[in-house]
Amino acid sequence: MASSTAVSRVRRQLPASPWLLAAPGLLVTGAFILYPFVSTLVNAFTDRRTLIPGRFVGLANFRELLHDDMFWTGLRNSTLYVLGVVPALVVLPLLLALLVQKNIPGITFFRSAFYTPVVASIVVVGLIWVWLLDERGLINSLLETIGVGRVGFLSDQWLLLISAMAVTVWKGLGYYMIIYLAALGNVPRELHEAAAVDGAGAVRRFRTVTVPAVRSTMVLVGALSSVAAFKVFSEVYLMAGPSGGPAGEDTTLVMLVQRTGTGLTGRVGYASALSVVVFVVTVVLMLLVLRADRRERT
Amino acid sequence: MPISRRATAAAAVAALVLPLGACGSSDDGGGSTDASGKVEGDVTFQTWNLRANFKPYFEGVIAEFEKQYPGTRVKWIDQPAEGYADKISADAAGGTLPDVVNVSPDLVAPLAQAGLALDLDKAAVKYRKEYLEGAWAGHRIPGMTGTYAFPWYLNTGPLFYNKSLFEEAGLDPDQPPRTYDELFADALRMAKESDGEVATLANVPTIEDFGRYGVPLMNKEGTAFTFNDPKGVELLTKYKELYDAKALDPQALTATPESSGKKFLTEAVAMNPGSALDLGNFKKQAPNLYRDIGITDQITSTGHVNMYVMGVMVNARTKRTPAAVAFAHYVTDAERQMSFAKQVAIFPSTAGSLDDPYFTEQDGTDETRVRVAAAKSLKNAVNYTPVLFSEQMKTELRNEVAKALQGKESPQEALDNAVRACDRLLAQQG
Amino acid sequence: MSVIDKVRPAPAPAVAREPRVTDEHGRPIRVGELALRYVLLLAVLALTVGPFLWQLSTSLKGPTEDIFSSPPKFLPGRPTLHNYERVADTIPVWDYALNSLKVATANVVTNCVGSALAGYALARLRYRGRGVATLVFVLAMLVPVEGIIIAQFTTMRELGLNNTLIGVVLPGCIGAMNVLLMRNAFLNLPYEIEEAAYVDGADVWQRFLRIALPSVKGTLAVVAIFAFMGAWDDFLWPLIVLSDPSKFTLTIGLNYLHGTFAGDERLVAAGTVIAVTPLIALFACLQRYFFRGAGEGAVKG
Repeated sequence: MASSTAVSRVRRQLPASPWLLAAPGLLVTGAFILYPFVSTLVNAFTDRRTLIPGRFVGLANFRELLHDDMFWTGLRNSTLYVLGVVPALVVLPLLLALLVQKNIPGITFFRSAFYTPVVASIVVVGLIWVWLLDERGLINSLLETIGVGRVGFLSDQWLLLISAMAVTVWKGLGYYMIIYLAALGNVPRELHEAAAVDGAGAVRRFRTVTVPAVRSTMVLVGALSSVAAFKVFSEVYLMAGPSGGPAGEDTTLVMLVQRTGTGLTGRVGYASALSVVVFVVTVVLMLLVLRADRRERT
Repeated sequence: MPISRRATAAAAVAALVLPLGACGSSDDGGGSTDASGKVEGDVTFQTWNLRANFKPYFEGVIAEFEKQYPGTRVKWIDQPAEGYADKISADAAGGTLPDVVNVSPDLVAPLAQAGLALDLDKAAVKYRKEYLEGAWAGHRIPGMTGTYAFPWYLNTGPLFYNKSLFEEAGLDPDQPPRTYDELFADALRMAKESDGEVATLANVPTIEDFGRYGVPLMNKEGTAFTFNDPKGVELLTKYKELYDAKALDPQALTATPESSGKKFLTEAVAMNPGSALDLGNFKKQAPNLYRDIGITDQITSTGHVNMYVMGVMVNARTKRTPAAVAFAHYVTDAERQMSFAKQVAIFPSTAGSLDDPYFTEQDGTDETRVRVAAAKSLKNAVNYTPVLFSEQMKTELRNEVAKALQGKESPQEALDNAVRACDRLLAQQG
Repeated sequence: MSVIDKVRPAPAPAVAREPRVTDEHGRPIRVGELALRYVLLLAVLALTVGPFLWQLSTSLKGPTEDIFSSPPKFLPGRPTLHNYERVADTIPVWDYALNSLKVATANVVTNCVGSALAGYALARLRYRGRGVATLVFVLAMLVPVEGIIIAQFTTMRELGLNNTLIGVVLPGCIGAMNVLLMRNAFLNLPYEIEEAAYVDGADVWQRFLRIALPSVKGTLAVVAIFAFMGAWDDFLWPLIVLSDPSKFTLTIGLNYLHGTFAGDERLVAAGTVIAVTPLIALFACLQRYFFRGAGEGAVKG
């Protein structure tokens, strides 16, 4: 895709500047993200607590993980979260982007309104949805009037997890919608017109023109949303409570990191080991998405 | 041989860790336990979410203190409600803890164990007699000698109930339950009469509830938990019965104090523990409900109601020990506590203050009735929650209790597991 | 990493200005389709803003109105702005908003500049170590922040930046994800345009500023809004870094409304509305950049 003469010319011109350009970003990322994370990596092999320096304990934290039921619960829930949320977040925002793409009167208002859930703080979003999904909340009142009866959205382990997923999707719609919109702008109109001349209907045009054109963006959204979903914390924390739903059954991995590692009595060592696991899994997730993408392309 | 290898590895790790996270225990000079020097210099005073409503009060206290001790300057900082423990953790680990800090007992314990809280039995023992004995003892830590914070304000409160819900269930709205047996019986009746629509309790039992029920929580040495004894199992078995009958709200397993308060306000739950502060709240938030609210005493099997204690701690590393101790005492002395108690419905922890007419004489209003009753019960109240009971332990107990209520474990198994998990965490803390 | 290679840059301007209702390609839209679109738009609208209208309504309810009545009342009986005045009386809301504005603006500037520069270097220039540099940003994006916050604070203290607004901005001032977004935007620009400029004798800076940057305005707008939003909404990090109440940001300040002794839903709701409004306004201002049509395309040369 790149013309090699251009590349070589660009390179010849200013040998030092590439690093100069990237330096601020690398410096900030290195000093404030990666360097602190190195201390997490080190702590994972100690029994350090918030106020008490740790001793080296080898793999003890990782061995303890394997026997910690809560770890497996967390791993299960975080994995389910990825499976539940990612397909919705890849498809729905694309449809939404198509809906608001056309410049019809009043569309600016709709676009901005659709973005409100993204900008609202997650705490507020949590409060609102807890109120809506309550045993006596609006949604249950509606369900009762149409004769379905009340549903324990906030008391059943699985319904809680599903409700939290719904909130994640609801809050993420506008976010990924933007990314899709930037990409949709690039679909050459000639393609649509050619398809329209061929007599293709809207659905077929979507399948044969739009999807292939934004496929790479779909992969990007899939990668971003799966990493975010695996690291989910706020939605579940706010809806299922700090202890993670009934008997902690809705605890996610990052909630477990927060629960064990923070506060004055936090077990920093063990929480660091958990963080390392989260990190490794997200790296693997990224690689999987990449491989799936590559296989599909060939 | 393995020992030496481990030691080398530990040294290598320490070399790596220390520059990364210079932790709280690194000595950076300062800090003497001698508070007898001249009271002077700048001290920082940190409170927990008091600025929004009591700014003039604290500015007044600080101005008076600075006038009384020329050469001192107090810088007041106030932290919001959420994230207080996170903030203190970061400051303690980073060595930036303020000189005088507003703390609750569960925050004092780990700070004292890390050597960050000044021992007041050494530095300020002369003030000890000014406080209620129980309140002063509230900041002792099992396994350590010493007292690590000045007692500040106390709080306790009655049980509120919804009279009209009681009436609808055929219960006498003027005869609220007074014992646990009555409470459980009324709760079951309420659930039955309302077809499970109205619960009486909104929260699963916490460590404090076990204490009030008369369950011994810890052994005398403070080295192991004991709430899995028959009395504890009895309480949990009762709660299971309530949960099955929907007399305990089905959402109780995921409830927070805030959410259960709301349930009371929306009349989904008939009773809710609270304090004098809540009365004003009810008036504001749900004026229609306010007329229906009945007030009764906390239920206990021990005769001692539960109280919450706030303290004021002095940073052991402060460079201005005399001034920090003097100010911490000044904020919590009888005069200051009394005037604070008149600003907001809390109670002073200083000896004799509760005998003030303000806390003993009725004037016919609900607020005063609640205040007088609470002040009376505070004289022999207990802070049931052990100071060593950490957030992590609360979660363990809560999750095991939930398993028992769901029927996944028997009450005995659940409490045994909770005690085991808490003991393990306790051993790691020490 | 090549996943990220693929966000297309938002293309250059072309807004249809015909008076008729047309689509992004300037074709008229049929009435039936138009109606269907509005029905769908309204349905999504109800779903996305309904909950916020409830907050807005609560914030407008007066002190005598029961906010916990069931069935709930949607419209305030006698709407009043009194709760907003009370928020301003309880906390110095303008000072906090000003601090938030400073932090958020700084975050937007550093993120736009920093990630554009880094993104350009990663996408357009060839040099040894480029792969490693890209990897650094990808890994940084995967680090779970919950586990590193105290270590970040210690670093900040060693730099003497705790209790400063600079300390609040610094860790997120060039977000890894923003760098990667910019990288993809640049990567998808055809080389030919820069080639032409090169022939005309433009150096790297001129090509970057005059040619590459204007072609990725859409992505730059996305970065700007993400950066503003991130700084505006953040709670825990500013709380931990700042000690001095005069430096607090709005999110911390609004948390005071959940009082220790008595919370008031109406105040909290009013606070929420105050916090969200500037973000929606900002989005409304920037949104036209995301929606540029492809009519003219980026490649002009």
